[in-house]
Amino acid sequence: MDTLFLIKYGELALKGLNRPYFERLLGEDIRARLKGITHELILKWGRMYIRCNSSDAERVSNALSRTYGIVSFARAVQVPLDMNAIEEAAIDMGRSFLGEGRGKTFKVETRRLMKSFPLNSYEISSRLGQILIDNFSELRVDVHNPDWVLNVEVRESVYMYGPEIEAPGGLPLGSSGKGLLLLSGGIDSPVAGYLIGRRGLKLDALHFYTPPFTSEMALKKAERIACILSSYHPGLTLYTVPFTEVQLEIRNKAPEKLHTLLFRGCMMKVGDMIARDKGCNSLVTGESLGQVASQTVGSLHFTESLATLPVFRPLLGLNKDEIVSLARKIGTFSESILPYEDCCTLFTPEHPLTRPDVEKVRSSFELLNIEKLLEKAVVNMNSVSF
Amino acid sequence: MDTLYFDWAATAPIDQEVLEGIRDVYVRLYGNPSSIHRAGREAEGLLCSSKARLSKLFGCKDDEIIFTSGGTESNNLVLFSLLLLKPGKKLILSGIEHASVYEPAKKLARFGFDVQFVSANRDGFVEPGKIEEALDDRTVMVALMLVNNETGAVQPVSEVADLIRTYSERHGRKIHFHTDAVQAFGKIPFNPVEMGVDSASFSAHKIGGPRGIGALFLRSGSIMEALYCGGGQEFGLRPGTENTPGIYGFVLAAERRLSMMDEELERAMELEACLIRELLSMEDVHIIPEIRGKIVEKNPKFSPYILSVSFPPVPGEVLVRSLDERGILVGTGSACSSKKKDRFRVFDSMMVPRDISSSSIRISTGHKTCKSEVVKLLENLKLLTGELREKITGKLR
Repeated sequence: MDTLFLIKYGELALKGLNRPYFERLLGEDIRARLKGITHELILKWGRMYIRCNSSDAERVSNALSRTYGIVSFARAVQVPLDMNAIEEAAIDMGRSFLGEGRGKTFKVETRRLMKSFPLNSYEISSRLGQILIDNFSELRVDVHNPDWVLNVEVRESVYMYGPEIEAPGGLPLGSSGKGLLLLSGGIDSPVAGYLIGRRGLKLDALHFYTPPFTSEMALKKAERIACILSSYHPGLTLYTVPFTEVQLEIRNKAPEKLHTLLFRGCMMKVGDMIARDKGCNSLVTGESLGQVASQTVGSLHFTESLATLPVFRPLLGLNKDEIVSLARKIGTFSESILPYEDCCTLFTPEHPLTRPDVEKVRSSFELLNIEKLLEKAVVNMNSVSF
Repeated sequence: MDTLYFDWAATAPIDQEVLEGIRDVYVRLYGNPSSIHRAGREAEGLLCSSKARLSKLFGCKDDEIIFTSGGTESNNLVLFSLLLLKPGKKLILSGIEHASVYEPAKKLARFGFDVQFVSANRDGFVEPGKIEEALDDRTVMVALMLVNNETGAVQPVSEVADLIRTYSERHGRKIHFHTDAVQAFGKIPFNPVEMGVDSASFSAHKIGGPRGIGALFLRSGSIMEALYCGGGQEFGLRPGTENTPGIYGFVLAAERRLSMMDEELERAMELEACLIRELLSMEDVHIIPEIRGKIVEKNPKFSPYILSVSFPPVPGEVLVRSLDERGILVGTGSACSSKKKDRFRVFDSMMVPRDISSSSIRISTGHKTCKSEVVKLLENLKLLTGELREKITGKLR
């Protein structure tokens, strides 16, 4: 086992007495993500390390880059508390950074937690800087805007590392329990799932489909998006609920301008039923205020009134371009824009209501008397776990 | 599950004999026709003889044929040749053209060309008089397809060619007239020379030939310059190493179709009549255009191979999927989406109401389609549209 990753966590480090609890959750989550990869997880002096075989390093790095609770991580070298060893390691690292074409200006940053080490941070940095310049004539120090930084942490051992890889940060997954994400197959909902994960909410997902009015391809697309999202939410289960009868009932019995709202209300209600059954504490949607007719304040007021659990909408205040750039970042965008519709034109009113009277829509909903069909839809639910 | 194929206008399965012919060329005549050694000369020989065979079928001269990658490239080649002229010139085309004519025209408009679209009438035909009205002293090109790919309507290409010729002679200025003949060639009688067009596009895979090969007929004396440059092949209009196996496959498929065209056409018309009669006996079925349901027997104004029909309120895409589940493959030009703005462009041009166009499917037959398949299609259409309509309207509940 010859590759070492040094892991930095952000917010979690601010926790007081609960810190061990959050650290344990993070450790469990990392272990679950690295299932099948031989590794060693080390917790020492308030910092987490993973040791693994070099051949697995890329996979470990991929998993860590999607682990909530981690702000950043880096491949590190561990050397004894000895200045000669530190210098040797610095020369090796300088050589490899140059070889990787990372640039010719650098600086050394040292943190000394082991206060008994004879040189202080400043002395270590300047000594290593001098040695690097002596060994590689093309290198130049630039403390303001360096191409790369050699980090040195003097702890119970010395840890040296270069560039850090970004991770989602926030709280470890599961620290807020588990929620159920309403996943449509569009751009927004997977982004909502990614964002809420940062607050420690682990997710399962729920997708509605309307055969034969929506295609098999649309269902497969939702599965592929759920699969991508599961790289952030390992073990995610996607529940798929056939909604044809419900949609047809609404189409045939309710006024056209209410169709979309009533469909969404039914989805919220079914989501609530499934969430409770599967031990979820909340519902998560990709709604963004005012984006479309069904996402105005009045519409949200109505759909929310059909849920008993809290409904979280992490995208509520985001603009579409911000959502799109997040979707690109997490890798769901190209899948989301594939042209398989998640709803048929048959169920899309020409002029949907934008400012619904919540009480009136509620009474239209009650009039539908649709409970039985909703229960039937849940009975016909399928699931797939990733 | 047996598959019944009714999407021949999208593409046709390749003929076995054609496939073997292509394979043979790949194996034995692999040379580059531009090479001067024996392998090159052999390939060059095949290229020349293929061109001669095809020109015989077209009734044109050998040097009036340019091999391309298919219909889309042929259409683009002609339209974008305008880019080498000065902007401000005018291009007239019908509003029912295939995207490979329509989209290049829209792009030309962005480059400063005056592009005028002429709508079809309710029956799906572009009226020659409307094109005549649009002609003016800036007009350099007119494009009108021969057989529309959604309605099967055979456009008055000869009449338009005549009136353009008359206009050109009167004003002493040449106007190029192009026709997209992709859905016509090998299916209905067609001779580009007699028809009087200056250029025409063809594709091999619609008639049992391979993908990626087609041709452009370009009348002698038509001056055209291409946008691509390279090794000067195909008179410099379509440079690139010739696709000799594809070309050979194209010729084989074309010869097969044309040698049997009369019988195949006769059979297709019988199937068409049967289809239309049976469809009209069903409730609330709309043939698009409506007029097609009125003259059922051997109407020369429509290609019998293409039929659009609508079953409102069942969305076309939903019917296509339901038929697919039963192994019956039909086409739809539309998608179950409110987002694609252009999806009903052709039907909109004909003033077909949206509820009819959004519920349409395209049934297209080919030389191998037989009566029993059509009967099975009809049975399933009756059954499925009944079931879906009940679901959608909730009649039974």
